[in-house]
Amino acid sequence: MSDISVSLKNVTKQYGAFTAVDDLSFDVAKGEIYGFLGPNGAGKTTSLRMMLDIIAPTKGSISILGSDSAISVRRRIGYLPEERGLYRKMKAAESIAYFAQLRGLSRTSALARAHALLERFGLEEFARSKNEALSKGMAQKVQLLTTIVHEPELLILDEPFSGLDPINQQTLEALIREQRRNGRTIIFSTHVMQHAERLCDRFLIMAQGKKRFEGTLAEAQAKFAQRLHLRSPAPVSILQALPGVVAVSAEERLGGDTIYEIELADGTGPQHFLKAAIAAGMELTRFEQAGATLHDIFVALAEDEETEKTAQPDAGEAAA
Amino acid sequence: MKQIFLIAWREYKQYVFSRGFFLFLVMFPLGLVAVSAAIGLAERNKPTRAFIVYDQTGEYTDDIDREIERRYFLSAISAWDMYLAVNAKPEALAKDVIPPPFAPNAVNEARAQAFREAGGFDAAQQAVKPFLKPGALGFVMPRASFERLPAPPRIAGLANLQEAEENIRPYLLEERLVARDGEKPRKIFAAILIPEGFGAGEDAPAAQYWSRNITDNALESVVTAALSSALRRDAITGLGLPQEALDGIAALQASVDSYRPDKTAEDAQLSLEDRIETALPAALTYMLLVIIFGAGNLLLTNTIEERSNKIVEILLSSVTANQLMMGKLVGIGAVGLTMPAIFLFGGLGASLVSASDENFMGIALTSLVSSPLLLIYLFYFLCAYAIFAMIFLAIGAVSNSLQDAQSYMGPVMLIVFLPLPFMVMVFQNPNGLVASILTWIPIYTPYALMMRAAADPPIWEVIGATALMLAFAIFMMRIMGRIFRQAILQASPPKARDIWRLARHETS
Repeated sequence: MSDISVSLKNVTKQYGAFTAVDDLSFDVAKGEIYGFLGPNGAGKTTSLRMMLDIIAPTKGSISILGSDSAISVRRRIGYLPEERGLYRKMKAAESIAYFAQLRGLSRTSALARAHALLERFGLEEFARSKNEALSKGMAQKVQLLTTIVHEPELLILDEPFSGLDPINQQTLEALIREQRRNGRTIIFSTHVMQHAERLCDRFLIMAQGKKRFEGTLAEAQAKFAQRLHLRSPAPVSILQALPGVVAVSAEERLGGDTIYEIELADGTGPQHFLKAAIAAGMELTRFEQAGATLHDIFVALAEDEETEKTAQPDAGEAAA
Repeated sequence: MKQIFLIAWREYKQYVFSRGFFLFLVMFPLGLVAVSAAIGLAERNKPTRAFIVYDQTGEYTDDIDREIERRYFLSAISAWDMYLAVNAKPEALAKDVIPPPFAPNAVNEARAQAFREAGGFDAAQQAVKPFLKPGALGFVMPRASFERLPAPPRIAGLANLQEAEENIRPYLLEERLVARDGEKPRKIFAAILIPEGFGAGEDAPAAQYWSRNITDNALESVVTAALSSALRRDAITGLGLPQEALDGIAALQASVDSYRPDKTAEDAQLSLEDRIETALPAALTYMLLVIIFGAGNLLLTNTIEERSNKIVEILLSSVTANQLMMGKLVGIGAVGLTMPAIFLFGGLGASLVSASDENFMGIALTSLVSSPLLLIYLFYFLCAYAIFAMIFLAIGAVSNSLQDAQSYMGPVMLIVFLPLPFMVMVFQNPNGLVASILTWIPIYTPYALMMRAAADPPIWEVIGATALMLAFAIFMMRIMGRIFRQAILQASPPKARDIWRLARHETS
């Protein structure tokens, strides 16, 4: 039995001349929470749709829950699309049960589970309300419940936090953690970096259809320049002269002290910098190592993408 | 398969178990009853239209009176026949025990004459008493359509036609009323002016018909008939024939029985059943047209709803695009069959509990159930549905809103309803050129062959056109299916030029 839940190998999706996803490969392990990050138009939704076999890749292969196509294992998958919708005239419990039935449950057990889930999420009194009568938040919850009602092994959630208020975001985070505790694999795409930081075991960053990074947060941080935060009454000029220092920026002033952020060159360890600072006679009241946040990493990669775009001459210019 | 059934059932339930559908089922027959009741009521309550005659010749007023009375008597006999159809015991009607001329029969001059000679309606009421249902009410003579009032003295005394015209105007414009002795003054509907010298000669002045109501020309027809008859009488009298001879000639009416050659000698005479059997395919064709268009619209609107609500994405993570398409087709197709099925079973139920089986609905339903028409309808419904439903589905898949769909719907509506005017020609001449042309156009084959169902079109034509239509239906399902499967997932609707690309091949 493979430990891999989803595997994409050299997957490309083209629409005419436009390449939406370019040679994408990654594996998602069973029981893992895997983040799918990237700016708008990066190819996240197209990749998720290809995983689900809603659309077929132009090239490459996809394996999902041990199958070549999600269609044959769709009853073991729960999918929440980015843009939500329910049948307006259908009742909440009916909606959940309908999708559960489409995924193989009997009508009796689908209805029983629908009512149990609605009760658990505080919506039992709306079970017989038509979807058009529900508030936006309630409708989103109902939609989420349609995704998990058949207790899938793999959850694919496209921007699940978008449009949720902070309370419902917390509820969803808790639900994702609970699903993982129950041994389920979760893949979700998001723009909200805090959620990814808090939830993901590993994540993948995409831009312009290409994979830019895949790994853990620690691995991402290690790839980026080390930063130190320190507090000192001494002037900044002493710090800038220290060996291995790339940049120094004053963050804020506290009393007579200034808090600095120091960016170190590759290979320069914090200890090396500390020794050099003390040797230079600097008075330090605080010294700590700061990793790059996922937000920084995301922005840095997005900026790289912009730089690439600007640097790449278009076909007309190249020909000229 | 289970998924297709689940989708179909949801679609079916959404429409058939809705308040709107229930209301339609209740309202449709009620509407029909209400419309026919309203027409009957309007006819019964149509006020008697009063008119005056200014006859300078003094010769034609009686002719007009006679024609009005003659027509009134004939209409009263028709009303009498209807009275018996409702109030006479069914066995009396079936066994022909009611004595002629009071028994329901063709309404013509000969019967009217016999009716009069037998004592008129009072005698008729007495004669049918033993054959009426218990508690049946007596016959009430229908209201007369027209009544001539005497011309007011200020007009009757005028010798000049122009003066008469001027003086009549205020009466026609309802500024003045006309009164009969001892009665309440009334408005007049029309005035007939017959000038001195009126006759059959080329230079003779014409009679004049004056009325503000130019849409209701019934009285004008009566007057024309009365005056024409009077001129013929004068001409015949001029030839030396007596008045009685003219009356006899006028009462002559040819009797023509209709037969159909495809029945045995004893059944060949055309009956009401035959006429209903011939008309049924036309009724079924129009129902087919309306239901195909209605079902197509349901498919269009709910595909647009699923597309714009993005429900389609969740659906497609649970089922394939083909299953979704088939589920929708089956579900809405079943809605399209439910409506006529309910009316058919409702009608059958009603005719079973009805005391008489000699009613129009009873004959129509018996003809429908005992002939292959229902099977033919089902077959052509499925074929027409396969063609048109796929078009509507594809339009739904390429539209984010009804507004988007409108640009495609214009030409489609034109195509759907184009055969309507030609269907009358097919009905009148079911094996004619127009019928043949429409039969061989696959998109119209179901309608044309349904319309021709009772006319025995050539078998090679039926088989050939049906085969061509089936091939076309398969072609449409493939082409439109491709468009549906690919377009349904595109975030923004494809442009018209892209639709052609989608139709040509399915991109992976």
